[in-house]
Amino acid sequence: MAQPVVRLQNVSKRIGGRTIIDRLTLDLPLGEVFGFLGPNGSGKTTTIRMMVGLMSMTEGDIWINGHSIAKEYEKAIRYVGAIVENPEMYKYLSGYDNLMHYARMIPGITEHRVHEVVKLVGLEGRIQDKVRTYSLGMRQRLGVAQAILHKPQLLILDEPTNGLDPAGIRELRDYLRLLAKEEGIAIFVSSHLLSEMELMCDRVAIIQGGKLIDVRTIRGAESRAETARVIIEVDRPQGAIEALQASGLAPVQEGEQAIAIETDREGIAAANAALVAGGIKVYGIRAHVKSLEDQFLEVTGGESIG
Amino acid sequence: MGNFLQLVHNENIKIYKRARSWVMLGILVASAILISILWLSFGGRDTSMWEVMSTESMILFMLLTIFAVVIAASSVAEEFASGTIKLLLIRPWSRSKILLSKYVSIMLFAVLLAAVLFASTWLINWICFGINSAVSLDETQQMLLFPGSSGPFAYMLMYYGMKLLSLAVTLTLAFMISTIFRSGALAIGLSLFLLLGVNNFVLLLGYLEYEWIDYLLFMHLDLTKYIGATRLEDGSNLWFSLGILGAYYVIFVALTWYVFNKRDVAA
Ligand SMILES: Nc1ncnc2c1ncn2[C@@H]1O[C@H](COP(=O)(O)OP(=O)(O)OP(=O)(O)O)[C@@H](O)[C@H]1O
Ligand SMILES: [Mg+2]
Repeated sequence: MAQPVVRLQNVSKRIGGRTIIDRLTLDLPLGEVFGFLGPNGSGKTTTIRMMVGLMSMTEGDIWINGHSIAKEYEKAIRYVGAIVENPEMYKYLSGYDNLMHYARMIPGITEHRVHEVVKLVGLEGRIQDKVRTYSLGMRQRLGVAQAILHKPQLLILDEPTNGLDPAGIRELRDYLRLLAKEEGIAIFVSSHLLSEMELMCDRVAIIQGGKLIDVRTIRGAESRAETARVIIEVDRPQGAIEALQASGLAPVQEGEQAIAIETDREGIAAANAALVAGGIKVYGIRAHVKSLEDQFLEVTGGESIG
Repeated sequence: MGNFLQLVHNENIKIYKRARSWVMLGILVASAILISILWLSFGGRDTSMWEVMSTESMILFMLLTIFAVVIAASSVAEEFASGTIKLLLIRPWSRSKILLSKYVSIMLFAVLLAAVLFASTWLINWICFGINSAVSLDETQQMLLFPGSSGPFAYMLMYYGMKLLSLAVTLTLAFMISTIFRSGALAIGLSLFLLLGVNNFVLLLGYLEYEWIDYLLFMHLDLTKYIGATRLEDGSNLWFSLGILGAYYVIFVALTWYVFNKRDVAA
């Protein structure tokens, strides 16, 4: 793992005797899209608020590039770009004036950079209009624009796909992956859209009731090698079973017109070859991969808000 | 680190890009014109321009105070109400400096309002009453009871100066209330109530013989009475009043900055 750009150590938050975040410890390396997953009210936004210094920590500390958020806020925060909950902007100003407002707060951001970012988030056509007239998705894009204006090393996005259309979600996803890989920055995304996280993230932390309960790797060799239950639709299930048994697999019948095997990616190709060689007609192959959603519900026990 | 003036520039934009600030300036100038024209049509030209200017300034400074309090009270409260405070604070600036930039922009706006009021009442009344004036400067002097030998222009400047000093304290109070309670409406309401309501009530309190009454903020907000005489017959004196105002000012500022720095932003 690369050098961690963000380190949360034993971070707790208590408000009025209630523990909202309970001893959270996390390391985020550069170049990774890190998902922060949890049901409503689990403490995602609270954690993000502490990471950007909007809320104080009751215990523990957060380091960004080696600078403590609690003790050296101004140094630590300059590496961070963020959206916290909804990206609220000054409605009476144009999108452009809003971006210039944030640009003025950090030395070295040129107008050229502002235009570049506007183009990147696809707002060229409307950037001179007042934010009052923007749709939710356009505001979200403007929010992303202000977060990446100063080329941060850590990008924190609280439910960034909220309000985006499918094309917008796809663009954002691709862009975030590009930022992580090409620019090598760390991206921290919170969401309760599980399928979304699966497509976007390298690793996902699952939080519930303020406690970190699991950190999983989504991409990479590990998940490829995992076996899955594969359903194959065929014309003659009995013949298919025999053909597969002959090539060393252990199929079972699945309904009238299908069989099921437990295998990995290579196994699927081998099984298909064996069936075709055995003169069996194959109508369809479906791998039933356990989705993050299943895993998520498994881990959190499908519990309600709490 | 960056340039603090850029922060003030941002806050200025938030004031001047909104119609309401310009409406306020417009109302101030229009009221001055209106009063002068009414005076001219009912009283004739037999008046000194300084007398009209001084009366107008006295009335319109009340309006100016209301306008300035509205701006002072909304600066921080609106950032919380709209949620923009989150994106404003997560920049490489301390909260103290961000708050200071807001404070500076409010004070600049108050000075602008006062300058516009001064210039417009002066110009309008010069046009209405000053050109080929029927009143001599001596008569003016007697009418307004200008203290000492200072001319009317110098007197008006001093008048505005004293008004601005107490306005600064009032605005700091409104700024404090809005920062602590994060509610613009409350800050406007409370400051104006304290100012207009309690202020008159407190004049009655002044007749009571309690010692602590001398230490109330509201006993010292009218500094214009000290122009020409720093010590008055009723025992009040300019330096004591300035001392009391200064003490309140320091407390207001300390509380405001302390609360703003400590607060969890969960808007
Ligand atoms: N200022 C506050 N005072 C008291 N409790 C709070 C405060 N802010 C949040 N909480 C509580 O902390 C818990 C976590 O809230 P948080 O907003 O972090 O959840 P979340 O994971 O972001 O949820 P969502 O998915 O709905 O956005 C909730 O139970 C909430 O009621
Ligand atoms: Mg949230």
